[in-house]
Parts: sequence; structure tokens; C-alpha cells
Amino acid sequence: MKRLILVAAGLLLAAVLVMFWATSRRPTSIELIPSLTDKPEYCLTCHADLPEISASHPVKTFGCVICHGGERLALDADLAHSSMRGGRNPASLDVVQASCGSLNCHSGDPIKNRDHIQRVLTSVQATYAGAIANVRYTFGAQPDLKARQAVNAAEDLDGQSKTGILSLSKFDPTKETNPALQMFAANCLNCHLSAAPKAGPEYAHLEGCPACHTPLTDADIPTLSQIQGNGKTHRLTTAVSYTQCNRCHNRGNYDLKDMQFHPRTGQPTDRLHDYYQPMTQFTRCEWTLDCIDCHTRQEAMGDGDIHSNQKDIQYIRCKTCHGTLTELPHTYTISNSEDIALRLAFLNPVIDLKIGDTIILTEKGEPLWTIRQLPDGSFEQFSKATGQRFVFRPVMGSGCQQNADQQESRYCHQCHAVKR
Amino acid sequence: MRPSFFHHLHPPTIPARQARLRYTLGAGGLSVYMVLMVAFTGILEMFFYIPTPQQAGPSIQMITFLVPYGAILRNLHYWAAQLLVIVAGLHMLRVIFTGAYAPPRQFNYLLGLALFVLTLFLDFSGYVLRWDEGVRWALVAGTNLVKSIPMIGPSIYIFVMGSSQPGPAAVTRFYTWHIFGLMLFLFAIGVWHIFRVRRDGGIAAPPPELRRDPQRITRFELVRREGLFAILTTVALLLLATFFPAPLAPAMTIVGSQVTDARAPWFFLWVQELLRLGNAFWMGVVIPLFLLIFLALIPYILPSPHPEELGEWFPRSGRVAQVIVGILVLGILILTALAILQSKV
Repeated sequence: MKRLILVAAGLLLAAVLVMFWATSRRPTSIELIPSLTDKPEYCLTCHADLPEISASHPVKTFGCVICHGGERLALDADLAHSSMRGGRNPASLDVVQASCGSLNCHSGDPIKNRDHIQRVLTSVQATYAGAIANVRYTFGAQPDLKARQAVNAAEDLDGQSKTGILSLSKFDPTKETNPALQMFAANCLNCHLSAAPKAGPEYAHLEGCPACHTPLTDADIPTLSQIQGNGKTHRLTTAVSYTQCNRCHNRGNYDLKDMQFHPRTGQPTDRLHDYYQPMTQFTRCEWTLDCIDCHTRQEAMGDGDIHSNQKDIQYIRCKTCHGTLTELPHTYTISNSEDIALRLAFLNPVIDLKIGDTIILTEKGEPLWTIRQLPDGSFEQFSKATGQRFVFRPVMGSGCQQNADQQESRYCHQCHAVKR
Repeated sequence: MRPSFFHHLHPPTIPARQARLRYTLGAGGLSVYMVLMVAFTGILEMFFYIPTPQQAGPSIQMITFLVPYGAILRNLHYWAAQLLVIVAGLHMLRVIFTGAYAPPRQFNYLLGLALFVLTLFLDFSGYVLRWDEGVRWALVAGTNLVKSIPMIGPSIYIFVMGSSQPGPAAVTRFYTWHIFGLMLFLFAIGVWHIFRVRRDGGIAAPPPELRRDPQRITRFELVRREGLFAILTTVALLLLATFFPAPLAPAMTIVGSQVTDARAPWFFLWVQELLRLGNAFWMGVVIPLFLLIFLALIPYILPSPHPEELGEWFPRSGRVAQVIVGILVLGILILTALAILQSKV
């Protein structure tokens, strides 16, 4: 009996040693107490090598959990990740309100331009309302081109609407009788912000806010279809390059005849030729600048109203920056440190904007904060994506012979288009 | 050798034949050991556990991942508690299948049954205290069984849960039930149960003149055997705690009343399976209650095993009880297996 007890005691010692050994193999935890949440989180134990997502979301302030969710104290990967919002992508539109929305973040006061989420959710990029309305009208499913349906139900919540459309119901292809509309639903609903991309490099894009704000590199593309539209890049930027827009807007065309998407076939060699509509004409600024150097936040992300199609929301024209023969472009001088232009220049410091600077103001009152008037009356513009500086003069006082009522770009293109 | 405190807890000698492991399974002693282990680890856990709805889940994660050896502590608590249900159950079955419940031990049998029920409630309340997404069935469906009792159900529910639905009060109630209310009864009745073992004449055995083997072992030998068993059990518990972590799901943030693909704790899976078959009150309350009442009545309504047949497995005179309990145990095992299979599909 005594020998048995000795053997058992030996076993106990061995079990204790095994327990110590197994416990010592656990990683040393790295604690972070973000100033915004004031709650410790231990994500950095494994993710210390992740780059900061952006200068305006420093990890010391935000931490990880406020955006991504997850179990902040868990050091077991499965448990820690199990309650993450949106998997790899907390900014996909179905969870964006919980991840990015709060009054001081991205679902705040429209007056302070903090209502990004509400604007995006009602924008044509998210609703796809224009395409749905057009195709349904074409095949006789609705009497006019007014938007009624969207890929996801949408509602204009601020109680005021210039378009008069207060809500859109969810487009339900099973209720459509025309087979063309069912084909449209099957083949063509994959380029809005909440669509998971189809397989193939020509479809690759991210979902939700990262579709525009997370720069996708060619290295990301092979991994995209495996992880359902949610890449691995940990970055957010307001300096959205044209290549990011091209992910969706320059990859091929939908064809109404066969209700299929046809990827572009050409292999562009330079940026001027990297466009799939061979008939389109460009002036120099249209292919040397990036898309967002002209197209404003409201055009890209919506203005809070529900629009029936893309054309309703697009309003920037040549004359917005260049004026006409009789009118200079609208400008205003920054006088307030709270001015949205200064905030945008802080987020993407390509220009040393300061109080007293005169910048261009669009017809709808949006500042073009990268275009500053110079003392001689000309303008300097800094590309938001590259920081490159351009200088241009207004039309007034030039040799331009345009007709006062011919302000569409096609008239400007007659003289100013570059040869392709 | 002068007997120590531990020796004095035992009778000076006991019959050798009934002291054999194959007779006792060591289950009663193991139950005591598991209770001590659960109490010891539980007290240490109390230094870290925060019984509020916001903090309960995170504090368990704190224990599991950040407190030095906290994971081992929690896993030991978990495994000792699960093994307690098993060894206490085995102890009860041993008593039934050897006829040891026969007079004069019928009252101590009732005390033992009460201890077993307390153990289940303790395990259940401890399970709910995890306060993570995995305990929703227990917290919502399980406790709703109480509500299904006609007339008095809702009042009992409020008594147990602290409000008319699972809310902030529930975590405090469960905590208090777990570490104070139920534990108090467990210790009191446990001590009484052990006292009654000796008062009722020690381990069940035939009258001395009818014994096949007159040999006896001393309390010194008995304590040595118990010590050996305790050490081996500790080895098993340590290995389980090291390599098989206790379950943990994301902390529960919204209590709500939604139950999504939730499972009952394993020892109540058979009840969950019964609930699929019919009305909550009949399946979830009446049947388990009748089962308990039947078990309690075994020494009083079924033929008593003859004294000369005591101290051996499956005495002839106790057949009726053995067959009925055997069928009931089989039924519970089948229902449990069905529940496990169903949730895997």
C-alpha cells in the first residue's frame, strides 16, 4: 500500500509539472487600454504587427474592439474572434452602424457632416436603385423611372427630402414575372456596396465603406474571393485613388440584351487608355486627376436623400472649377476653424489649408478644399491621392468661345479633348 | 499509532468484503473529495468573479485568460463539478443496486437523494453563472419550466430569478443560490449524511453471524486507501484541467429571451429531449418530479432486500427496484444520446 501511495504521489508530481509546462506555453499577454473605451483589451497579444489603420483612428485611442467587436479579454483565437462584427470587415453595411456609427463618429449631426452612414445607406452606390428602376421600367414592371426598390430596404430618416422619395422597399426578384428581370437579379446585382463580389479578378472589390476607403492592392485580389469580399488590408484612407474607383467602375459592362456582365477585353497600357468606353472623350484634367478630385463627397456617398439614379446626384461640371466666360467659379474664404474644409485637409494633408484661404465652392455648397485661389486669380489644385500640384486659370478672360448655354462637358470636349 | 482527526471520522474497523472497491466503487468518498475540490476552487474563483450582468462574462474571461493559473483553477472547478454529478450518481446507483437503502438506512438514503438534487442545482446555477451565449437555454428555457407550473409557477420563478424575466437580478440570485443558499444546504445535509452512515451501523453488510468473510480492515487502512484514491483523482483532475478546458462562449451582452440553437447542460439534456415530446409542464416538471418521488419512495413501497443479502451487488430480494431503476437510467441515457445526436445534425 505504501508503495502504491508513493507511485501515486510520483504521478501527482508529474501531473503538476505537466500543468506548469502547459501553462508556461501560453503567450505573454499584451494589454491595451484605449482612451475612448477605457476598458482593457488583449488583441495586440497576437496582432501587434498590424499597421495602424489610419492616422485618424490611432489604436491607442480606439483600440480594436470599438470597431471590430470580439471578446476583448479572450486569449483563445476562436473565442476572441467569435463575436466580431462583420468578420474581417466591420464596415460592411449590415453592421456598419454598430461598428462605425456613434454621434461623435460616423452617424452624427448632418450639419456637422457626421452623418456618413445614413448618407451612404441611402446613396445610389448602396441602394442600386437607379439600375433597378431603369431595368424594371424597361421591362414594364413599373410605369416610370422613379426608384421604388433597392437591393436592401432604405429609408430617408431625416424627415426632409428634396427628391420626395422617403423609402425604398427591398427588390424581390421572386415577385417579378418577366424572366429578364430574374436574370438581372441573378447576374447583375453584384456591384453595389453590400454585394459580395463574384469570383474573378474583374469583379474584385471590398464591401461597405472599405469598397472605397480601403486601398485594394493587386496582391489582395487572389485572396478576396476566398474570404468573401473582405480583404486582409488593414487601412482606411480618404485619399481614394482612381484605381480604387476602377474596381467597380472600369471593369466591363452589363448588357441588357443577354442580361450578363461582360468583362472588359482590352489590356490598357497607360492611364489614358485604361478606360473601357472607347468612344468617350477626355480633357487633360479628366485623366490626370483622380475621380475624387472633382467628384464630391455628396456625389460619391450620397446627400441624405434617396435618388432615382446616379445622374440625379452627379452635379459637378467643368464650370464648377473653371467658371464661364461671364462668371468666375464660386469661391469662399475660410474664416472659421470649424470649417469642414479644414477638417478634410487635416484628414488628408495634401494642402496646407488655413484660415484666410479662398477655395472653390460647388453649386450645392460643398467646398472643393484642395483648390485654392492664388493672388493672380488663377487656381492651384492638389491631387487628393498623390498630392501632385496643378495650376489652372478660369475661363473668364481667356480666348474660349463657348456658348453661354452650352456648359455640358461634350461642348468643352470639342476643343479640349486629348487625342487617344 | 494514535488516530488522527481524519482517522476519527471513520469507524475503528469495517468489514473487509464491503470495503472493496468493486463493492463501493469509491463513489461516496470521491463525492466528498469532489465537493471539497469544488468548494476550494470556487472560493478562489470568488476573488475574481464579478456577479453583475456587464461584468460576469468578462470576469470569467479574466479568470480564464489573465489570472495566473486562473484557467487551471476554473477547469478544476468545472471538471470536479461534472465528475461530482457522475460519482454522486454512481454512488446512488450503487446504493440502489446493492439494496443498501433498506431499513435502517432508508432515511439516510433520502438525505443522499437530497444531496444529489442539490448537486444538480449547484451545477446548473454554476453553469448559468458563466453568463455567456452558451447558457441561454438554461437561463431562458430551463428556468421557464418553473413558470409553467400552474398557479404557483410565476411566484416561484420570481423567488428564484429575482424578476419576471431573466434580467440583472438573475445573476445576483444565481450567484447567491450557488455559493450560499445551495452550498449551505449541501454542507449541512452532507455532514448529516456522513454522520448517519455511522449512526446506521456503517456500511451495509449482513448481520455478523451470516457474513461469508469475517475479516475487517482498520480505519488506518481505510484512510490510506482513501488517500491513494484522492491522489489519483487529483492527477486525473489536473490532466483534465490542463488539456480539456471548460467551455466558454462570447460573453452575454443582451439577456433577452431569445433561444437560438442553445443546448441544456449535459446532465439536463434528457429533460430538453423530453420537452420536444410535449407540454413543458408535463415533460419538464411533472415527469422529473415523479421520477424523484419514485426514487425517494423506493425503500418505503418496494419490497425490502433481506438482511442476509446485503453487502453484495444485485441482491435477489431487491430485483423490482433494480429493474425499474435500470430501465429509468437506460431511458435517461437514450434521451441524452438522442439530444446529442439531434444537435449534431
